Amino acid sequence: MAWKYLYWEDVEEGQELPTVTMNITCTTVIAGAIASRDFTPVHHDRDFVQKAGLKDILLNNATICGFVGKYLTDWTGPEGELKEISFRISTPCFPGDTMTKTGKVVKKYTGGDQHLVDVEYEFAVPQGRNCGGTGTIALPTRGH
Amino acid sequence: MGLEFYEELKALVGQEGSRLVAVDEVCKPMIRHWCEAMQDGNPLYTDEEYARKSKYGSIIAPPTMLLTWTMPPLWPPREQPPHPFEQFLEKLDKAGFYGILITNVAQKYHRPLFPGDHITFTYKVTDVSPEKKTSLGNGHFVTTTFIFTNQKGETVGTQSLTVLKYRIGP
Repeated sequence: MAWKYLYWEDVEEGQELPTVTMNITCTTVIAGAIASRDFTPVHHDRDFVQKAGLKDILLNNATICGFVGKYLTDWTGPEGELKEISFRISTPCFPGDTMTKTGKVVKKYTGGDQHLVDVEYEFAVPQGRNCGGTGTIALPTRGH
Repeated sequence: MGLEFYEELKALVGQEGSRLVAVDEVCKPMIRHWCEAMQDGNPLYTDEEYARKSKYGSIIAPPTMLLTWTMPPLWPPREQPPHPFEQFLEKLDKAGFYGILITNVAQKYHRPLFPGDHITFTYKVTDVSPEKKTSLGNGHFVTTTFIFTNQKGETVGTQSLTVLKYRIGP
């Protein structure tokens, strides 16, 4: 398989990341919870959450972390190196939701010998913003 | 709740529990299961040949998996001395702030994690807000910071988690 590589030289501040949609199912929520070893009932037990007054089970924070990582390195290709991510969770993501991921480059700079970009992203669900935040990624350069 | 309660909470900030050891070492099956769940096809995580030719020379774990390595086992319960964070939550529960919701997550990655790495970690409450009005009810925002270390004693990453402990109902 041929992988695409995003080079630092080819990125501009203000550039938008691709919009990506993803259908969230019960399986997505539960597979994410179990793969991240999070057995909290709100992420797999519908009876439990409905008794607690919630509509349905909800995506756990580790799965959102995983989706952020995937969204960013799907954009950069495998040579993009995540340095940090930070986000705020505003509204839950439930099974049946379509999640729409958008983002843009807010800063392009060098730090030490690294070529870095800061991005902002937002994952939206029908009921509002599931999460929004920032990330820093080191990119390869054409010279190397 | 008065100022006195907030002062009691603030007194618990910064108390570190004992160092904990991850149940599993970093391993390819758990990495692959994560990639399946996240639908992440990055070849550095699952393609042996690609990863061997990469600058890492080997498969690496997805950096966002950091906290996963350190989750407590479902069974049997981990035997450990009580952590100051638990006292913190207990204090808030007793004061009626039963609700809990994660509001903020931040991770920093210092070094890649390789299969065979064994993680130990410490965590502590690093911040607590005064009682605030939120759409869910009045509550306190509590931030906990984790520091993850590999078997060589190198810091591999950090994570901070903010939870809202809130009073359910009016």
